[in-house]
Amino acid sequence: MLERYAAFFMKIGFLEVSKSFIQDNNAEIKVVQALLPLSLSVSEGEFICIIGPSGCGKSTLLNLLAGLEKPDTGRILVDGVTVNGPGSERILVFQEPGLMPWMTVAHNVEYGWKLQGVPAAERCERVKKYLKMVHLSQYAGTLPHQLSGGMKQRVSIARALALEPKVLLMDEPFSALDAQTRDILHDELQRIWQETGTTILFVTHNIREAVYLADRIVIMTAAPGSIKNVVHVPFAHPRKKSSTELSAFSAILHDEIKQEVDKVAAKELGREWLADNKPPIPGETSADVGAGI
Amino acid sequence: MLLGIWQWLSSLRLAPSYLFPGPMDVFRSLREMAADGTLLISIRLSMGRMIIGYSISIVGGLAIGLASARSRLFKETVGSLIMALQSLPSVCWLPLALIWFGINEMSIMVVVILGAIFSIAIATESAIRNIPPIYQKVGRVLGARGFVFARDILFFAALPELIGGLKIGWTFAWRSLMAAELIRADVNGVARILQTGREFNDIAMMLAGMIVILVIGLTVDLAVFGTLERKIRRRWGLEK
Ligand SMILES: Nc1ncnc2c1ncn2[C@@H]1O[C@H](COP(=O)(O)OP(=O)(O)OP(=O)(O)O)[C@@H](O)[C@H]1O
Ligand SMILES: [Mg+2]
Repeated sequence: MLERYAAFFMKIGFLEVSKSFIQDNNAEIKVVQALLPLSLSVSEGEFICIIGPSGCGKSTLLNLLAGLEKPDTGRILVDGVTVNGPGSERILVFQEPGLMPWMTVAHNVEYGWKLQGVPAAERCERVKKYLKMVHLSQYAGTLPHQLSGGMKQRVSIARALALEPKVLLMDEPFSALDAQTRDILHDELQRIWQETGTTILFVTHNIREAVYLADRIVIMTAAPGSIKNVVHVPFAHPRKKSSTELSAFSAILHDEIKQEVDKVAAKELGREWLADNKPPIPGETSADVGAGI
Repeated sequence: MLLGIWQWLSSLRLAPSYLFPGPMDVFRSLREMAADGTLLISIRLSMGRMIIGYSISIVGGLAIGLASARSRLFKETVGSLIMALQSLPSVCWLPLALIWFGINEMSIMVVVILGAIFSIAIATESAIRNIPPIYQKVGRVLGARGFVFARDILFFAALPELIGGLKIGWTFAWRSLMAAELIRADVNGVARILQTGREFNDIAMMLAGMIVILVIGLTVDLAVFGTLERKIRRRWGLEK
């Protein structure tokens, strides 16, 4: 109950938000419950990581907050105001870069500002600043198809940061990047976050990444998604990736998350899964979830 | 090569030369028309009609296509009507247009517009439906709305597919114009050359007119649309 009132005073509040999709593939129409009613409050400047099995509704949660989807029930509040469509104070970075292929890198980055009527000279300055931040200053005039996958994703991150949103939503933004770039961007993101005081919601499959970045980690249940647990990460920023504390903490979380991942696998593989007594499945379980930050 | 065969065939005199002129006769006829200015005036007249009519078709076609891609109601009402109308050759509108708009330029323009607008609308709708959803999501997140969203995001994201539809629209418009000019004996234009040729039993002149029509069609197709298409595909990175 307290949570309900808190939502109005926090930076972001989800109040009993649920969402289902109608999947219409010609042959049959079915309703998929993506999110069960869930509530969550986030305070200003907090860094939240969201972890959960594939298909549990993490992207849906961010899309709702970004205003790309409307909740079936409940309300989403930002600064006490109900979200109703996209807004420039809430910017979402997608898993895929989604750069406009007809615009140069610089035009992609400045497009949001252009829409807001910021004069060209000022836009140019910002483009420089944010491309530098993702180490792509040399590529302002390049077309997206001439960049590598990792470079594209960095441009997409620069495009989001350039708008200096109060709430930054990131949907597995680093999952397609190589380990070195990811390390650089982790540090950059942590620094930018500390400098700007932006509130960040960050979806990831990587527990180490979550433990490294987050103030709190939201663990979601297998589909239909709801919040299983919210874990406070008790280490001060900036953190060191190599720290043994982080590793120990990741290991504890790992077991909790594995339960949910196992549920998905059990549902998929049925009795086979139980009989074999939990063999590792690629991509989702033990080896991958904790590894390779 | 083909010209050589043509010249050889006509020099055999299988048919009298006024029925089957050789390329030299046709070329002479072309030169005469170029010299007395008929050619230039005719081309200017026809192209003028094309440019105005086709521009209106583009604007109208894009608007109708956008509306039917975005609104189910619009698609099921106006959209299905357009689908039906599209199978009617646009020159069939000419008699009606003559009564409605009078014996003037307007009625020809209507035929040109109706020749292209439906195919452009249909191509626009399909191109918009095929846009990868990510561009629309990104556009909305970055703050594009309404007309700006359609102009900055939808139009460009659809362009690689759309350009094919615009090209077909041009071809339809050109054919419709020629048909309308042929039927309307009272207007000048490129097709008028054929009519005049017929009146004077001058087959060389008729062939010259046909060549002019063909060359204009091909030039626009290859030089204008071909180049545009290649440029777009290269910029989008759809081609090496
Ligand atoms: N636009 C949509 N139309 C229909 N169903 C959808 C749509 N978007 C999501 N869903 C369904 O909602 C559920 C949750 O999807 P969502 O993309 O939020 O999962 P996720 O947690 O982000 O998964 P992942 O970790 O694989 O990205 C899935 O069952 C999915 O099939
Ligand atoms: Mg997702």
